[in-house]
Amino acid sequence: MKVSTLLTASILAMTAAASFAEEKTINIAGFGASSGVVGIFGQNSGAAMAAAVEKINAAGGVTLADGSKAMITTQYYDDRCNAEEGISVLRRIASTDALVAVGPTCSNVAEPLFGILQAKVDDAGDTGLQFPVFTDVAIKGGLAGISEWVFRNTPSEAAMYDTLFAWIRETHPDAKTIYGGVEEDFAHSRFTWYSVMKTAAEKHGFEVVGEAQWLLNDTNFSNQARGMRRAEPDIVAISAHPFTTCGMLREMARQRIEPKILVGLTSSSSLETLTGCANEAEGIIIPTSFAPVNDEAMAAAAAVSAKGGMLDLHSAAAWENIMILKDVIEAAGIEGTADSLESDRRKIRDGLAALTEVNGLLGVNKRMPDGEAVKPYVFVNAASGNWEVLHNPDS
Amino acid sequence: MDYFFFIDLIQSTVDGLLFGTTYALIGIGFTLIFGVMRKLNLAYGAAALAGTYIGLVLFLTFNAHPAIVFLASALGSGAIGLAVYLCCFRFTPTDYPMASLLASVGMLLFIDEVVIHASHGLPYPYPSVFRDAIIEAGDVWIRGDLLFVFFMCVVAMVVLFWLLYRTPLGLATRAVSQQPRAAQLCGIDTTRVNMMTFAIAGVLGGVAGAMTAAAVGVLSPVIAMGLTVKGLIVVVIGGLGSIPGAIIAGLLVGAAENIFLLLRGVTERDIYVMLLLFIFLTLRPGGLFGNAQTRD
Repeated sequence: MKVSTLLTASILAMTAAASFAEEKTINIAGFGASSGVVGIFGQNSGAAMAAAVEKINAAGGVTLADGSKAMITTQYYDDRCNAEEGISVLRRIASTDALVAVGPTCSNVAEPLFGILQAKVDDAGDTGLQFPVFTDVAIKGGLAGISEWVFRNTPSEAAMYDTLFAWIRETHPDAKTIYGGVEEDFAHSRFTWYSVMKTAAEKHGFEVVGEAQWLLNDTNFSNQARGMRRAEPDIVAISAHPFTTCGMLREMARQRIEPKILVGLTSSSSLETLTGCANEAEGIIIPTSFAPVNDEAMAAAAAVSAKGGMLDLHSAAAWENIMILKDVIEAAGIEGTADSLESDRRKIRDGLAALTEVNGLLGVNKRMPDGEAVKPYVFVNAASGNWEVLHNPDS
Repeated sequence: MDYFFFIDLIQSTVDGLLFGTTYALIGIGFTLIFGVMRKLNLAYGAAALAGTYIGLVLFLTFNAHPAIVFLASALGSGAIGLAVYLCCFRFTPTDYPMASLLASVGMLLFIDEVVIHASHGLPYPYPSVFRDAIIEAGDVWIRGDLLFVFFMCVVAMVVLFWLLYRTPLGLATRAVSQQPRAAQLCGIDTTRVNMMTFAIAGVLGGVAGAMTAAAVGVLSPVIAMGLTVKGLIVVVIGGLGSIPGAIIAGLLVGAAENIFLLLRGVTERDIYVMLLLFIFLTLRPGGLFGNAQTRD
C-alpha cells in the first residue's frame, strides 16, 4: 500500500471518528419516587420521559445555538418519596451535565426541596442552588412560588374542583350536603380536602355535614364510615390515595352508604384504583388533566405503554415537560457544551419563565407568572372497570 | 353520654376485638420464635405479607377459590419464614445476638422492596368471604367478614395449641424453649425444631396477613409495616414468650386502637397506643404474662 493511500485512509478514519465523538447530547434528568409504596408515580414518569425522548430523537433530536443537532438523553433518579433523599438526589443531578430536572413526584419532597434553590434569580446574597426544576407530579398547590428556579406543569386542583362542584350544583340541584373523607398523613390528600374540595363545595352552596379522617396505612374504616352513614350525605368526597380509597369504598358498600355522587382525588384517576376496587369505585367522579381523548394523547399513551408505564394525569405531565423543554432548548439558543453548562441552565430557566402558553396533550396549557400552569381538564368517572370521560368543561 | 356515643363505643369495641385476633396471631408468631430461639425476627411481618401475595397471585391468575387463596397465603408465608430462618438465623453466630436481629432487619427491607417491585406498589383486590353479611343486634352491626376473620384466627390458635401440647413436635418445641441444651442431650434435633418453629410461625403470619387483607378487601405493601409494629406492641404488652399473653394483648390492642380512634380521632389514636406500650415497658416490662424465668 502506498504511503499516500495509507495517509488518506487514516485521515478519513480520523475525520469519521471525530464527527462521531462530536455528536452532542443534552441531558435532562428525571427524579421522584420510583420505589416504595408510591413508586408507581416515578415508574410512570420515567417511562413517559423515556418515551417522549425517544420520539424527539427519532425525529432528529434538538437544534442547538450553532445549528447542530443534539440527541436528548435522560436518566431517572429515585428519591423514595423522602425529602432528605430528594434533596440529595437534586444536588447530585446538579453536579452532572444535566441542563434541567423533571420532578419530584411527592409534594412532601417538593416543598423542602424547592427551599434549597435560590429564591430570587440574581440575588447575590442567596447562595441557594441555581438549577431549573420542572415539576411534573407533585401536585400540592402553590409550591412554585418558593423559588424562581421552579416551574410546574401540574394541574390547578383549585380550578378543577371549583368547576366540578359548580357542574354538580348545575346537574344535581337536589344534592345539598357533602361529607369529606381524608387521608390525614399525606400532604396532597390533606391539602386537597381542607383547602380545595371543601372550599369549592362550600362556595357552590353544599353544606359540609361531616369529615372522616384516616391514615395511609389504615386497614379498618368502620368507625369513619359509621359517622358518614348517620349523616346521610348527598355527596361523599374522598381525598385519599388508592389503597385507602378502596378500603373506605368497601366499608361504605358494607355499611350500605349510597351517596348520590361520589367524588375522588385527582391522583386516584389512575389504574391503581380500578385494579384495587373497580366495583366499589363505579361511578366515582374525578377531575383529571389527562384522558386519551384525541389522537396525540392516544399516541402518547401507546408510546408510554410500550416503555412499561402508564399515562395518567401525572405521567402525562412528564411527557409534556419533555416536549416543552425541547421547544425551550431550541428557542433559548442552548450551546450544549461543558463550558456553557451554567449559562445554558440559566437560559432554560429564563425560557421557561418567558412562556405564556404551551401545547399539552389535552390542548393549550397556560403558563402563569408564578411558575404554575393552568391546564385543560375533563371529568372522568369509573364505568365498567375503565375511566370514561363524563364531561369536558371546555366543550 | 348520648345514645349514639354508647352505641359507637360498643361497636368500636366489638370491631376492635374481632380485628384484634389478627394482631394476636402476629404476636403469637413473634413470641413463638422468641420463645424457642430467644431472638426477635423483625422480618416476620414482611414475610407474612409476602406469603399473602403468593395467595393473591393464585387469585389473580386462576381466579382461585378464597379457601385456596387463604391456604396458599398461609403456606407461602410458612415457606418464606423457613427461608428467613436459613438466611438470617441458622448460620449467624450465636455469640452475637445483634447479628441475627440486624440480619432480620435487612431481610425485612429486602422482602418489602421485592414485594413493592413485583406489585409496583399497586393495591390489588383480595378475596373476602361473608363480605356483605351483617348481623344486626339493634344498632350494633357485627360484620360477617370480621366474624370469619375471628373464627379463622381462633382455629389457627387451636391448631397451634394442639401442635404444641399434643404432638411430639410440640413436646420437642417446648423442651427446646425451656432447656435447649438438655433437649439436645435428650436427642432432640434443635435445628429441626427451630426450622419447624419458623415455618409454623410463618403459617400463622400468613393467616394473619390473609385475614387482614380479606377484612380490607385490598392487599397493598403498606400493610407490612402495620403488621410488624402491631406484632411487636402485642408481644411487649402480652409478655415476650407468652402465647396466652399475645392472644390477650392482641385483642386488647385491637379494642384500644378503635376506642382511642373514637374518643380522640385518628391523629391521636396511635399516640395513645404507644403510650400504652410505654406504660407497660416502664411499669410492667415483662408484659401481662411474662416471667423472669431464664434458661441455660
